[in-house]
Amino acid sequence: MERRDFLKNSALASSLFFVPNFVRAFEGFDAKSIGYKRLVIIQLSGGNDGLNTIIPYNNDLYYNARPTLAIKKDVIKLNDDLALHPSLKPLQSLYDNGELSIINNVGYPNPVRSHFRSMDIWQSGSSSDEYLQSGWIGRFLDKHGKQPYNAIEFDETLSLALKGKHFNGIATNDYQTLYKTARDPYFQKVLNHYNDQHLSEHNLGYLYKNMIDAKSSAKYIYEKTKVKLSQEEYPQNTFATQLKNTARFINSGLKTKVFYNALDGFDTHANQQNPQKRLLSVYAEALSAFIKDLKRNGTFEDTLILTFSEFGRRVKQNAANGTDHGSANNVFVIGKNLKTAGIYNNLSSLSDLDDNGDLKFTIDFRQVYATIIENWLGTSTEGIISLPQEKLNVI
Amino acid sequence: MKQEHIKHLYWRAGFGIHPEQLMEASNKSRVEVVDNLFRTSESINPLKIDLSDFKNLDVMALKSKPKLLKELAVKSRKQILDLNTAWIDKMVSSEDVLRERMTLFWSNHFVCGDKSVVHMQQYNNTIRTHALGNFGDFVKAISIEAAMIKYLNLKQNKKAEPNENFARELMELFTLGTGNYSEKDIKESARAFTGYFNRFDGSFRLRKFQHDYGQKTFFGEIGNFDGDDIIDIILKKRQCAEFICEKVYRYFVNETIDKLHVELMTDLFYKDYNVEILMRFVFTQDWFYEDKNIGAKIKSPVDFLVGLSRTVPVNYKNKKALIKLQKLLGQTLLNPPNVAGWKGHKAWIDANTIMVRLKLPSILLNGGIIALDDEKDRLRRQYFNKNKEKLPMRTSPDWDKFQKDFKSVASEDLSSILINGEINKGTMSLIASMDKDSKQKFCIQLMSLPEYQMC
Repeated sequence: MERRDFLKNSALASSLFFVPNFVRAFEGFDAKSIGYKRLVIIQLSGGNDGLNTIIPYNNDLYYNARPTLAIKKDVIKLNDDLALHPSLKPLQSLYDNGELSIINNVGYPNPVRSHFRSMDIWQSGSSSDEYLQSGWIGRFLDKHGKQPYNAIEFDETLSLALKGKHFNGIATNDYQTLYKTARDPYFQKVLNHYNDQHLSEHNLGYLYKNMIDAKSSAKYIYEKTKVKLSQEEYPQNTFATQLKNTARFINSGLKTKVFYNALDGFDTHANQQNPQKRLLSVYAEALSAFIKDLKRNGTFEDTLILTFSEFGRRVKQNAANGTDHGSANNVFVIGKNLKTAGIYNNLSSLSDLDDNGDLKFTIDFRQVYATIIENWLGTSTEGIISLPQEKLNVI
Repeated sequence: MKQEHIKHLYWRAGFGIHPEQLMEASNKSRVEVVDNLFRTSESINPLKIDLSDFKNLDVMALKSKPKLLKELAVKSRKQILDLNTAWIDKMVSSEDVLRERMTLFWSNHFVCGDKSVVHMQQYNNTIRTHALGNFGDFVKAISIEAAMIKYLNLKQNKKAEPNENFARELMELFTLGTGNYSEKDIKESARAFTGYFNRFDGSFRLRKFQHDYGQKTFFGEIGNFDGDDIIDIILKKRQCAEFICEKVYRYFVNETIDKLHVELMTDLFYKDYNVEILMRFVFTQDWFYEDKNIGAKIKSPVDFLVGLSRTVPVNYKNKKALIKLQKLLGQTLLNPPNVAGWKGHKAWIDANTIMVRLKLPSILLNGGIIALDDEKDRLRRQYFNKNKEKLPMRTSPDWDKFQKDFKSVASEDLSSILINGEINKGTMSLIASMDKDSKQKFCIQLMSLPEYQMC
């Protein structure tokens, strides 16, 4: 026997007898331990201007602070104080049906006005002086997740929010290609040979772990997803496609608890009107199609949709017809059986601002998370949110 | 110098190494090899694409021609993609690898994006020019770059209404790091950068009427500071040198900081902020070559694509494919996700990107086939041949060049050249079992291992 053949055979033998433990660890999970309630998160990246989204249309202070930027025409009045931006017209019926709750002034103490830091704070669920390496959804997965596909992000890369201490969600915007790629027999051979079990301890192990995750999750998502479901018409844009795939996965009954979507471009330091108008309409139109899709398939009842942005913007407009980074902002919760629908709380005073001229927060964003975790995802916040949070009467 | 160490140096300071270079360097001392690396990067070779459409334009006349302006904007957007691929090509083919590596590093430090291809090319070359120079001069040059003036809203920063965006990121991301300044420092320094403006051709202009010449209090100092003064005051802080050295250490040595090593670097760098001296120091230290640092870094998408093409040159039938690849892998040059840039390291990798990376060498070099078990595996071969047209991109790899470059390398030694760091025993047995009759086929299999993603 030649040396090469000998090695070939022995390698084959070893692959049969010594299937590494970490491969086994990911097989034979119990998906049923996770319920069917689903959370869809929509992140408006860049810092959406909340004051021009939910507009205090009866407040002179608003018009004074924004001589050219205040929205005056076609606002959609919700009550005596607040109105929707005209682009949010599709949300009006949700509001009228009691399926939308608008929570004002959501933020955190000592607000940070850097995108990245504030986004990290929101995604990790930390305080402003605390640096966490894991996300709040990631820590939920640490406790209850079994497979990466328990949380799916429609992006090319995974956000901090979905990264746990030991467990990650999966990011993909093309699950079909992912499946076809992962199926190459060469990769199975590579996995069978690798025999270092310290997967999470070094970078190479991390690559192997992701490879295993990819193989098992891609197979599951691909095989479970029913492509031929009848679907709503969605607008033609990336964000709408994300929501379309979200609906497809939900309606196919995938065991995915959390879906993460993002819409970017809200950092409007200059000439804000048109970009924000366009972005809000991309948001509202896609969302409207998505909700119709869920309703038609009877899955809306088990779906909760949370929309947030890393911060709001300064009350006073700047010289460039835009707004600078602010702090507290509004959050939308959409679902079927909301305890408090409509406007959850009053907007903070526009005269009593903080030192930077920003809105003061009255609700900590972790209260929103805690409420979702306990009242919707049905588990305690222990190990997910560090400080005890007073829950909101929303869900 | 040991081969393993030369390879390590060339991967961190460049984009990998050719067998010939490796042979040549192994007869030299570490200092000689490092010297040579710096010598070949002494001259500055700017990145240049044909931008003649944007030359000799009458800016005043343009303002009344909205249609022409629009056409130029479309043209600019297209040419940004050309600039992107030209930059990649430059990294693949240039001799001054250290300068190119430093340019790539700094472009993810002084992060910027803009729609004007003229301004982006100029920005890129400013980075290249200062990449191994004085850090203070570097920051000042960046602060008056047209692309940066737009990207961080210096253009909107006026005496009557200061815009804090640049001032904040200058300290948070470019020099000191979060938490090392107050909100007041930001407000005061923003005033010093008021009136910054750029001309259409990319040159800097101070709009005197928008500039705040008044007195500012910044980090306890009082004066009628302008932007350069503010940068000088920042540089006086040792924290600035430390912040940069930590970043250099994470990128070039190991993502886990060794406090003592960073301390030594900071001592040196704080003296005169000379980047070349700092890098020379890092590359000549024993700790740089410690086993735990070798092959411990996850290649960035650009490291991966450039490194692969330096081994087997890849011609893309349609250059746009190269843009698509970067997007798929999570790093499109000239289009950073935000001013903090790409996080790098493990953040490059998730279930999706790892699969793309593992499959990519076979797609670029071999029609999607990594390995067929033996000649009898006819069905799969047929399948691949039939679906060749459906591959996401058409390429023509230059295997002749590969064969020529690797002529002196025995097949068995291919893995020690292509793979960095120690290889796990199980994987060793897999490599041992691979068919080595064809260097070409063996190369594709090696490049399809997770280990190939490390440098």
